[in-house]
Amino acid sequence: MFVYEKKLQYPVRIKNPNPALAKFIISQYGGPDGELSASMRYLSQRFSMPYPELAGILTDIGTEELGHLEMVGTILYQLTRNMKPSDVKKAGLEPYFVDHTAGIYPQFASGTPWTAATIGVKGDVITDLTEDMGAEQKARTTYDNILRLSDDPDVNDVIRFLREREVVHYQRFGEALRLATERTNQKNIYAMNPAFDR
Amino acid sequence: MVPCDERKGPLPPCAPLALAVMPKQQSSEPAYENKVALSRGTLFPGLDLPFMNVVNHPDHLSTPLCELMALDFVVQELKLYLDTHTEDREAFAALQTCIRLSREGRRRYVEKYGPITVDDMRYAESFTWADAPWPWQLCANKEG
Repeated sequence: MFVYEKKLQYPVRIKNPNPALAKFIISQYGGPDGELSASMRYLSQRFSMPYPELAGILTDIGTEELGHLEMVGTILYQLTRNMKPSDVKKAGLEPYFVDHTAGIYPQFASGTPWTAATIGVKGDVITDLTEDMGAEQKARTTYDNILRLSDDPDVNDVIRFLREREVVHYQRFGEALRLATERTNQKNIYAMNPAFDR
Repeated sequence: MVPCDERKGPLPPCAPLALAVMPKQQSSEPAYENKVALSRGTLFPGLDLPFMNVVNHPDHLSTPLCELMALDFVVQELKLYLDTHTEDREAFAALQTCIRLSREGRRRYVEKYGPITVDDMRYAESFTWADAPWPWQLCANKEG
């Protein structure tokens, strides 16, 4: 069960609309390593996680990612507010605009709609946690690239916050993997999958 | 040097082979002050690894809403830490203190500025839950 809190995790106040920035920041909304992918990955993986504290970390990080999805959506909404058709043309946003107007649609920067094809739920404890560590690094890299491309201080302030969360989550998933392997056969940690073989 | 078990490699000392090995964070201390933690995106200086060493400053986080965000952020950081350090009594005590401060801060915020969860409607005079602004909307005269 989820309960909505009517506040963001971190404040988003973009003073200057700039639809050109929204064109690539949208990848952290519905792109391959974006926040929607992150939340769906962790909140789905937790069902088969046999260790309660590790189901806990997947639930807690997955839930935080939903808050990040809201923050990225907020950036996009504020960057594209009060757009006129001339602003759309100037930013080269016509292909998006013609399908979605100023609505926020989960898609890659390249235009591909959000897809579960880029997330992994393997149902294996070590494999899923290793996927999660890779996922956090992919998201961090994407935020690095956004910082390389954006010169808006209000946007970059929020992006730096979100990027640092990836570093913290990477550490926690690494600790989770360590805890998981400490609970398996120390002579051969790949002897079986504790999520399936009882 | 003590020789490692044949299933352990020499670097780092006697780590298991064919496995990603993450050093465990040893303690929830040292920790940043709440507002600095929120501005940095982590409570823990050891995990604070900014891109190109550019960091945010906490100056713009002094509104009542930001103060509440900072408390809730520390709760989140300690919660994630405790998920992988369930036996850390000090961190648990810090979490409990922070939750209590957050509850109190929330009560005061809600009285002045409106509901954060629908629970906050329990003694309200009218149904203001769905009133603007929603969190994504910019509103000059709303605190936070």
